[in-house]
Amino acid sequence: MTRTAACALGLVLLILLVALWSLATGAAGLSVAEAARALLAPGEGRADAILWQVRLPRVVAAIVAGAALGAAGAIMQAVTGNPLAEPGLLGVNAGAAFVVVLALSVFGVTASAALIWCAFGGAGSAAVLVYAMASAGRGGGTPIRLVLAGVIVATFLGALTTAILLIDSQTLDAVRFWTAGSLKGRQLAQILPVLPYAALSLAAALVFARQFTTLSLGGDVARSIGQNPALWRAIAACCVVGLAGSAVSIAGPLGFVGLVVPHMVRLTLGGGYGRILPLSILGGAALTLLADTAPRALLSVDMPAGITLALIGAPFFIWLARSHGAVRG
Amino acid sequence: MKLALLCALVALAFIAALALGDQPVPPGEVLGALFGSENVPAPSRIIVTELRLPRAVTALLVGAALAVAGTIAQAVMRNPLADPGIVGINAGAALAAMVVIVQVGSLPETALPWLTFTGALAMAALIYAFAWRQGTTGTRIILVGIGLSALAGAGASAISVFGEPAYVQRAMVWLAGSLQDSRWEKLPHLLGWSLPPALFAWAAARELDLIAMGDDVAQGRGQPVNLARALAILACAMLSGAAVAAAGLVAFVGLAAPHIARALTGPRHARLIPAAALVGAALLLTADIVARRTAPPLQLPVGLVTALLGAPFFAFLLWKRRND
Repeated sequence: MTRTAACALGLVLLILLVALWSLATGAAGLSVAEAARALLAPGEGRADAILWQVRLPRVVAAIVAGAALGAAGAIMQAVTGNPLAEPGLLGVNAGAAFVVVLALSVFGVTASAALIWCAFGGAGSAAVLVYAMASAGRGGGTPIRLVLAGVIVATFLGALTTAILLIDSQTLDAVRFWTAGSLKGRQLAQILPVLPYAALSLAAALVFARQFTTLSLGGDVARSIGQNPALWRAIAACCVVGLAGSAVSIAGPLGFVGLVVPHMVRLTLGGGYGRILPLSILGGAALTLLADTAPRALLSVDMPAGITLALIGAPFFIWLARSHGAVRG
Repeated sequence: MKLALLCALVALAFIAALALGDQPVPPGEVLGALFGSENVPAPSRIIVTELRLPRAVTALLVGAALAVAGTIAQAVMRNPLADPGIVGINAGAALAAMVVIVQVGSLPETALPWLTFTGALAMAALIYAFAWRQGTTGTRIILVGIGLSALAGAGASAISVFGEPAYVQRAMVWLAGSLQDSRWEKLPHLLGWSLPPALFAWAAARELDLIAMGDDVAQGRGQPVNLARALAILACAMLSGAAVAAAGLVAFVGLAAPHIARALTGPRHARLIPAAALVGAALLLTADIVARRTAPPLQLPVGLVTALLGAPFFAFLLWKRRND
């Protein structure tokens, strides 16, 4: 068995274990055995209600959003050649969240199926805006310009979102946990409509992993082996928008997953995106699930997963900015 | 001449801040109330001098303090994009205060500036420590600062999850950057913490000119570089701490004001520092009017308004520097 397969298997087992841990943790005491029983043989009891309405949606949300963000981060790093690229830092998540809040508040859209398209639209517009701002003029986007442009766009859209929520307290009530990056109170009915899009984007990311590897070698290399870089960059952007949009619709703007996970995979295993992408998907799911579960289980504090992830991810970002040779001017 | 023009602009913004509100007061009455004229009706006098004046004075001082802090930071870090807000110095100040507010609930007014100053200084030291690899570069300082800023922000949110809801709510309002809690009692602290470092920086304008040119030049001119830098950072932390203690997190004024001032008066700090202070004061006064009047009776946090105004400005700077 290769190291890659071993790592993948280990991550899958980790996800299953943490998922069980998460299902068995909460205000109403359910034993692991009870949780497993309710999961495998659904009935009408109290345990079943708690599991299917409160705890399972949370686990599903963490796994799907984490997987999507891990993949989105890997693709963005491949396409931009920027080790700091990530949907949270580059404002893509903030764009999706802003348009969703705008649609909820101003246009009164409430259907999940419509909101997901708002998330896609917001993610796409923010991505285009950040990329255009960073690469205006000669020389294209250097890592620092891309990060600064992302931080600016994220701050701006975040402030607009806050402004809307301050004025419209009804919408604030509906999305309070969601904008704070908490997975609390998610319903399966909100998650299920998003799943096909998330699955499609994840599948596309896996299928095109080889092309993304080529793209990561730079436009010249890509052209020399017959790839059309512009076309594949556009395809990559569509994948990122699909992934980040789905993740934000489910879990709110979670940062740093897409930064930390692909780097960890690259540091452990190295190699092309054929290896990095699938493991980033698994790793993203595991990390997000763990970030949602561990504070609740160990400290009995329901800390929003977004905060836990930032506490883990920000030091990692500092370390990258400090050590990475590519991060210059 | 340009400084006089800026003074007039600040005075105009100041009078507008006193005149506008749910109960508009004509500018003539505002001036009358300020100078203690007998002909002003009592309600107008009370509205102007007791309700709006403390807030306008706080906005003026906080704006000026943030602008001078930004000017110093840009000189010391030699990066026109450096700003105590972006590199996390303000976030450090806020985190330090947040930790204590959430634990203790209420604080004596005298203690708060000490806390924010300590937080700002600690953050500045951390940024330098992490960005130091045989010297620092402006790029690394900003990236490390962005990371630390995110960390401090997450820390503040985490604390708010653990804390007593009533205390947290109080801390959150302040964290969003608001002038709503401006009172006369708070002004002496603001003034005491911001005026000395601002005057000190102005007096040392020549040293700041040298620092901005680079270590080699400064050393060649006989400047003890590290001492000068340390004092400048100390002054910057005092100003940031004072501003954060008075108004919470107010973004982008520290970035934008020095740039606007530099376009007006050039890069020499002897003229740049007073100009930046005036621009900062005018910016924050205007932003606070917008914050109060956009959706009355609701008052938006002024930090939100400066973020909305400042982000496009930052984008413009980034675009302007595209060839660097």
